[in-house]
Order: sequence, then C-alpha cells, then structure tokens
Amino acid sequence: MICHIDATNGVPIYEQIGRQVTYAIANGTLLVGEHVPSVRELATQLAVNPNTVARAYRELQQTGILTPIRGTGLAVAPTAPDKCREGRRHILQDRVESVVREAQQGGLQLDDFLKLVHAAWPTSA
Amino acid sequence: MAPIVQFQNVTRRFGNTLALDNVSFEIDPGTVFALLGANGAGKTTAIRLMLGLDSPDSGTVNVMGLDSAQKPLEIRSQVGYVADRPPLYEWMTVDEIGWFTSGFYPSGYQAKYDALRTRFDVDGSKAIRELSKGMRAKVALALSMGHEPPLLVLDEPTSGLDPLVRREFLESMVDVASAGRTVFLSSHQVNEVERVADVVAILLNGKLVCIERLEDLKRNTTEVVLALPNADTKPPQIPGQVLAHVPFGHDLVWMVRDLDAAQLLNICRDSNLPSPVIRQPNLEDILLAMLREYRLPSRPQEAVTIN
Repeated sequence: MICHIDATNGVPIYEQIGRQVTYAIANGTLLVGEHVPSVRELATQLAVNPNTVARAYRELQQTGILTPIRGTGLAVAPTAPDKCREGRRHILQDRVESVVREAQQGGLQLDDFLKLVHAAWPTSA
Repeated sequence: MAPIVQFQNVTRRFGNTLALDNVSFEIDPGTVFALLGANGAGKTTAIRLMLGLDSPDSGTVNVMGLDSAQKPLEIRSQVGYVADRPPLYEWMTVDEIGWFTSGFYPSGYQAKYDALRTRFDVDGSKAIRELSKGMRAKVALALSMGHEPPLLVLDEPTSGLDPLVRREFLESMVDVASAGRTVFLSSHQVNEVERVADVVAILLNGKLVCIERLEDLKRNTTEVVLALPNADTKPPQIPGQVLAHVPFGHDLVWMVRDLDAAQLLNICRDSNLPSPVIRQPNLEDILLAMLREYRLPSRPQEAVTIN
C-alpha cells in the first residue's frame, strides 16, 4: 500500500491516510485479513508524525474497517470492502459537490456542467 | 508528566537587541516540538540556552529537570544536538569520529553510530573534510543519536540539503518520535514541520506569539478574503480573534482564530459587502500572515498574541 501525503492541501493528514486506506480496500489493493503497516513503519515511510498515523488507524478501527489481530497488529476487517466502497462513494460525493459549487459560482448551468462531465468521461462519447 | 524542557520568564539581551523577551513555555516528553520564526527571531538563542552554551539574563531554563545554567555538562551529555553548521574534526575519518565520540558515552554508542552511518549510506573510511554538506549533516545526526538521547535538538537541520537527505532526516525524526522520545526542531521548512510536528511555537522578535498543537492551530484558524468594492468602504468587524490583517490592493486578508463564519456572512450581507472567501489556511499561510503583520509598524505587538 503506497500512500501519498500532501501536508499543505488543507485536508488533515490523518484524513488523507484514512481515505487512502479506504480506497486501497475498495479497489482490492488491500485484501480482507491483510495487515496494514505498523504505526511506526507507516509514519517512517510517509515521514509524518506517528501520532497522526495512530489517529488515522484509530478512526479506521472505530468505523470497523481495521480490526486488531492479537499480538500482530491491525488487519482489514471482513466487512471492510463493502464499507470502503460506500466510503469511497461518500468521498467522491463530497468532491463532486465542491466542483458543483464552483461551477455555480462561475455561473454555469447544469447543461453546460454535464457537457464538461461527458467530455471528461472517456467512454461516454 | 514532568516537562522535558521548561522556559520560565527567560530574557536574553545582546546589546540593544532583545533576543528573547520574557519567554515561558513547556514541552511534554514524547513530543515533536517545532520552533518557527524569521531569521534573527531568537530560535538559536533559545537552543543555546537549553544546552547551557549561553545563560539567560533573567529567568530559568530547565532541561530534563536540570537547570541549564547550573548543570550544562550533565544536560549536554544526555541530549543529542545537531547544530546549524555542525563543527566536526576535519582530519578524522567518519569511522574515527564515531570511535572518538563513543569515548564520551556509555558502551553501545559506537555500534549504534555505525548502524546509523550504514543506514545513511556514508562511507566510514572517508575523511570528514572530503564530505559533501549532506554527508556531513548525516554524520552529525548519527553522532547526535548514538546514545539514543531522550531529547534530540535540531537547529535548522535540513537547510541546504538535497530532497533525499531531507527525507532521511525526517524519517529519523519520526523514528525518534515513534520510540516515545522528544524532538526539538528549529526550522524554516514549514512544509516539513507540518508533516512531523505535534506542537508548534512561533517566535517573533524574541517574543513567543504562539504555542499550540499543530492540528488545533490549523483547525481553529481561518483565512478570510474580502474584496472591497471601493476605497471608501469600511471593512467589517470580524467576529473572531484577528491574528493578522493584511491588505493586498483592494483585497483585505484576515487570519482569524475561532471565526464565527455564519455571523461574518450576516455582517457582510447586512452592510451590502460582497461575500467573503473563507478557507482553511496551511501552516505556511498562518506563519506568513503573522510575519507580515509583525512587519507592519503601525500595529501593536499584542494584536498577534495567541495565548
């Protein structure tokens, strides 16, 4: 699992980690039962504060995406793929909403906006 | 938990310059603490006082429960320190300087030094004087970490280093922090601080204007940009604590703590002002706003004080 962190883009780092774990599980990059790196490993790999990684993992545990395996660390929970696909949808929805707001502020109509979406969607032409 | 570093009403003056002006703060063990500020803001002075390389004119500095003016050697034998431009014996080789330094520390130092040197990919048989700036910095870091210090002090450790070496420094800091030890970092690399720091403190001309957990500082600080329609329009009263207020042409920019966004929108609507742009600033935006605010001579210093 490769995470990419941008500390300056306004999204808290723990949230960026949470999102990327969610995406990795939704895409099948991380499989049920597979271990995620330890806090220390991931913090060193990403060069971010270990407390930040710990917080991201804590929230993923609270939502039932990661589950502790006794003595060996955290692994992807059996119900995680469904939750993560749902989670991915929510994250996407947020981003679409923010683009829609931007389009409205720029005075675009729904038709114009959908034209942009169709133009960007490779197979819809 | 007793603080690992404690500044109590510390003042240090050089001639007419107040390098530190009644500075008080504490650092909890296990924290990555980052000290930010302009050049000449007093950061290096604060570090020298911690290590007992200099004494305060008034106030006290305690490190690991020891008064740094009374017990400088005890403190220096325990902490790890990488100076801005680390002085090393030029004529020794990388291996020799590790062996030489191990004489000042309990056993185990040299093995740890060698492990770090190998991890940093520095050739042990090379003379110090032949090393590049990045290699020298790595040697200094390995020397400062050989005794696994409870407190690692880094004075602008990554300035002038290439991206790969900077990354290795960051990883080392994270490693130290993961082991529950404390890192004190003075830096101008705001984006690096933003990755690794638990707590940030900002020094402006010797005064401590902010000390806070980074995530709280970022969450509670908002940037408001308002384009005024013409020069006669009076800017609105901002509902929140204004840390900095800088005009950019027709645009007014405020850095605000605990902004009441709903109230601001109401105020703007009621006084027929355009709606403000409200965004979450990153650490660099916050720091720049404070530095700019401070340069504006007309405003009182107290206006930027957070705590």
